[in-house]
Amino acid sequence: MDKDSPQLLPGTLYMLILRILDTEPMHGYAIARRIKQCSADVLGVEESSLYPALNRMLIKGWLEAEWGTSKTNRKVRYYRLTTEGRMQLASEAGEFNRLVDAIQLVMKRA
Amino acid sequence: MQYGKEFWRRVLYLGRRSRFHSELNDELQWHMECRAEELEQSGVPHDEAMARARRDFGSATRAAEDTHDSWRIGWIEDLGSDLRYAGRALRRSPGFALAAMFCLALGIGANATIFSITTSFLFSLPSCREASSLIAIWEGGNSASSIADYKFLRDARIFEGTAGINPEMEVNWRNGEQSTRLFAGAVTDDYFSVLGVPFQLGRGIAPGETTTAVLSHRLWRNRFGSDPGVLGRHVVLDGRPCTIVGVLPADHRNIVGFGFSPDIFVPAIHDDEIVQFYARMPQGMTIPIARERLKSVFRELDRVHPKEDVKRSRNVLVTGVSGMDVLAQEQLGVVVAFFAMLAIVVGLVLLIACTNVAGLLLARASSRSRELAVRLSLGASRMRIVRHLLAESLLLSSLGATAGLLIDFVCAHLASSMTLPLPVPIQLVVAPDWRLLLFSICMVLLSALVCGLLPALKAVRKDVNITLKRDQQQVERAWGLRSVLITGQIAISTVLLATGFLFLHNLRRATSMNPGFDLDHTIWAYMRLVPENYKDQSRQMALVRQALERLRSLPGVQAAAITRRVPLNDNCVIGTDDLTTDLSATPMDVDYQCNNVGPDYFHAIGIPLLQGREFTAQDRKGSQQVAIVNEAFARLVFGNRNPVGHTITRWKVTFSIVGVVKDSKYFTLGERQRLALYEPYFAREEPVNLNFIVRTAGAPSGLAKPIGDALAQLDSSAAVETKPMVRALGLALLPSQFGAAMLGAMGILSLALAAIGLYGILLYSVSRRTREIGLRMALGATPAVILRTICRSSFGLVGAGLTIGLTLAFLGTRPLAMFLVPGLSSSDPAAFGAVIAVLGMVAVLATLIPAIRALRVDPMTALRYE
Repeated sequence: MDKDSPQLLPGTLYMLILRILDTEPMHGYAIARRIKQCSADVLGVEESSLYPALNRMLIKGWLEAEWGTSKTNRKVRYYRLTTEGRMQLASEAGEFNRLVDAIQLVMKRA
Repeated sequence: MQYGKEFWRRVLYLGRRSRFHSELNDELQWHMECRAEELEQSGVPHDEAMARARRDFGSATRAAEDTHDSWRIGWIEDLGSDLRYAGRALRRSPGFALAAMFCLALGIGANATIFSITTSFLFSLPSCREASSLIAIWEGGNSASSIADYKFLRDARIFEGTAGINPEMEVNWRNGEQSTRLFAGAVTDDYFSVLGVPFQLGRGIAPGETTTAVLSHRLWRNRFGSDPGVLGRHVVLDGRPCTIVGVLPADHRNIVGFGFSPDIFVPAIHDDEIVQFYARMPQGMTIPIARERLKSVFRELDRVHPKEDVKRSRNVLVTGVSGMDVLAQEQLGVVVAFFAMLAIVVGLVLLIACTNVAGLLLARASSRSRELAVRLSLGASRMRIVRHLLAESLLLSSLGATAGLLIDFVCAHLASSMTLPLPVPIQLVVAPDWRLLLFSICMVLLSALVCGLLPALKAVRKDVNITLKRDQQQVERAWGLRSVLITGQIAISTVLLATGFLFLHNLRRATSMNPGFDLDHTIWAYMRLVPENYKDQSRQMALVRQALERLRSLPGVQAAAITRRVPLNDNCVIGTDDLTTDLSATPMDVDYQCNNVGPDYFHAIGIPLLQGREFTAQDRKGSQQVAIVNEAFARLVFGNRNPVGHTITRWKVTFSIVGVVKDSKYFTLGERQRLALYEPYFAREEPVNLNFIVRTAGAPSGLAKPIGDALAQLDSSAAVETKPMVRALGLALLPSQFGAAMLGAMGILSLALAAIGLYGILLYSVSRRTREIGLRMALGATPAVILRTICRSSFGLVGAGLTIGLTLAFLGTRPLAMFLVPGLSSSDPAAFGAVIAVLGMVAVLATLIPAIRALRVDPMTALRYE
C-alpha cells in the first residue's frame, strides 16, 4: 500500500462504495481496485477497513450480498445496491458536493 | 423502523454466526488471491506474489474480528452468556432453585390470574369489527331508551350505523312439552351488521327480519349438542316460531361488557321495548363531535315527540365501548374498589414471594462470597458481577413465571367454565392475550429486580480482601439486610392474613345472618308468561288467582302468595323529597324500598305482621290506595305513633297505612336497615314475570317439583322454575363468598410463603452460626443460654414484624368496611388475634427446629469446621 496516498475523509468510504456499486454488483476486491483505478491511483482502501465497512452497510440495509461464481469458477460474494442504498447515495453525494463547493469557495476567496 | 430492521438483521446473524465466520474467511482469502494474481501479471514471481498480497493485506484475523464486531449486539450476547452461566449454577443447587421457583410461581401465578379475571371483566374488547369507532350512547343520561327513540336516531343518519340491544330480556322456549326460560338479548335488526360481530356458524339477524334467532355458544353446546346442522331449525320463542340463523363463537364477548352473555338473541319487535344505544362513528368523527350532533338530534326529538318528565337532550353521554371508557359510565365504584383491593393483595403476595427469593439469594450470595471475591480480584468489574447475579434472578423469575402462567391457565379455565349463581347471565371469557403476555414480562422483570438487586449489590460491596482472608468472618454480624427482609415479610403476611381472616369471618356472619324472613320453609316459584298471551291484565289476574288456589291446595303447603319482587334478588328503591302525612305537612326526604305484594305475602314468607292487617283480595286497582310499611319507615315518618289508620302522600297520591311489618333485608345481607313500603299486587299493571312464595309445613325440598308441575299445568307456554328460598341467596352471598374465597386463599398462600421464607432464613442464619455456637459451647455456654440467644433474636424480629403488620392492617383495612356485613368492624379483634396466634406458631417452629439442630452439633466438629 502506498504510504503517500492521502487519507480518505471520514465517512466518505461509504459514499465511494455506494457510487462504485451503483454501476454494477461487484465483489470486495473489485470494489477496492475500482476505487483505486477511478481515483487515478490516488485513493487506496485498506482491506482491513473495507470489509467491516461493507458489513456495516449490510446491517444498515444499503447493500445486499449474494454468492456467485467468478470467471475462475470460484464461489465469490457479490455486493449489490438496494433501493435504500441508492437513496443514501443520492443524499450523501448531494451533501458532499455542497461541502466541497463550500470549501472551494473559502479556499478561493479568502 | 430503521432500527427495528437493523436489529432484526443482527439477530438473524446471531443465528448463523459460525457459517458467517467461514464465509468471511473465504472472502478474505479470495481477496488476497486476486491481489496475488494481479501482482503475478505485473511480473512478480508466483511465490512472492502471494506473500506480498498477504503482507499488504495486514492482519486477516483483525479484519475478520472487526467485521464480526460490526454485527454484534453486545448486551444480548453478554446476557446470553450470563444466562447460560446462571443456568449451570442453578442446576448445581436444585433445592435452592426449586424453592425459589416455587415461591415465584405462586406469586406470579396469583397476579396473572387476578390480572386475567380483572381485564376480562372490566377491560375486555367486545367481539366486534373495529371497536374503536363504536360508541355507547346514553340518551338523557339513561342507559336504555325506547325503540321509537332508536328509530328516530337511526333515521337522523348522523352515524354510519346505529344499533340497539336490550340484554336483559327473557323468552320462553317451547321445547317439546316443556317451556324453558332463556336469557335473551333483544336486538334491533341491524345490530349484528353495525357491530360486525364474528360468527361461528351462519350469520346475524338481518335487517327486516322478525322471526330469526342467534344462539350463544353456550346454549348451542348445552341444549343443541353442538349440532353443526342447527342452522335453519325452528325454535318456538314466546309462542312464535323463529329460525336459527347463526351461532356465536365460544369466545364471543358481548358489547355490553362485564361478561354479560344472553343465551339467545332475538329481534326487538315491539316499539315499547327499551334498548341500549350503540353507534358506529363515520371516519373522522370524534366522541365530542358525536356528542354535539346527538344533542341536536335529541333536541329535535324533544320538540317533535315531547316527553313530560324527561328531557332527552340533557346529560347526553357518549363513551367508547372498551378499556377505561367502560368504567366512566357505570356506578362501578364498589366493583372497581374490589378489584383494586384484589390487585393490591396479590401484589403483596408477590412481594412476599420476592422477599423469600431475595432471602435465599442473599444466603447464596454470602456462601458464594469467596467465588465472587476471586472474580473481582481477577479484574471483573462490579457492574459485570451485578449483571451476572441479576441474570440469575432473571432466569429464576422467568422459570417461575412460566410455572405461574400454567397456574393462571388452569384458574382462567375454571373461571371461564364457572356459571355464577346470579339472576343475570354472566359468563367470563378468560383467555390469555397480549395484555397478559406484557403483564407477565413486566412481572418477570420486576420480580427479578426486586429479588435480585439488593443481594447482588450487597454481594459486590464487600471488601475483597476481607472475604478472601476469611478469618475475619468468624462471628459475622448476625442480622442486617436479612433482618429487614424478614421483618417486612412478616409485616406483609400479617396484613394479608388479617384481611383473609376478616373476610372468612365476614362470610360466616353473612351465612348465619337472619334476613328477617323465613329461609327454611319457603319455596320460590318463578313463572314467566308469554307476553302475547296475556295482553289483557284480567287474564293474568285470573291465572294468578287460579295458581294460588292450586298451590294452597297442595298437601304440605301452608300458605302461598304472589310478589313482584323477591327480597335479596331484586332491587327497587324510590327516592322522594315530598313525602307528607296527615299529621305533618312538612315535606320529608326519604328513600325507601318498594314492592308490590299479594294477600298473605307476609305470612307466606315469614315476616311478622306487627300491627294492622295484610293486604286482601279487595286491595287492587281502582279501590282505595293502601300501603303496608316496615318498622323503620313507621319510626322515621310517624315517630312513636301507630301509623295504622294514618295516611301518607307522595307525588300527589295518598295511601292509607293498613299495617306495619317487621324490618327485614331487601337487597343485600350487608345493607344497613332500610325503609320499605309495600303496595298491593295488581294495584297497577304487573309484568309477566310471576314470583310465588310458598310456605311449606316441613322441609321444602320435596315440594319444589309438585309446585313446579302444578304451575306448569296451568299454562304450558309458561316457563316455570322453583327452588327453595335458601338456595336463592346466591346474589346476596356472592360478594362475601367471593371475597372470603379470594382473600382467604391469598392469606393462606401468603402464610405458606412467609412460613417458608421465615424457616429458610432462620435455618440458614443458625447454620451460619454453627462455628460461633460451637465456640460458645466450648467456652462453657449451656444449651439453654444458646437457645435463649437464638430465640431472642428471632422472636425480636417476629415481634417487630407483627407489630408493624398489625398497625398497617389496622389502618389499611379501614376502606374494606364497605364489603363487610354491618356490625363487623374492619379491625375485627378475632381476626387480629387469629393472625397473632398463627404467625407466632410458625415463628416458634421455624426457630426451634434449626436451633435444636444447632445444639446437637458437637463443639469439636464445629470448631474444626475450617
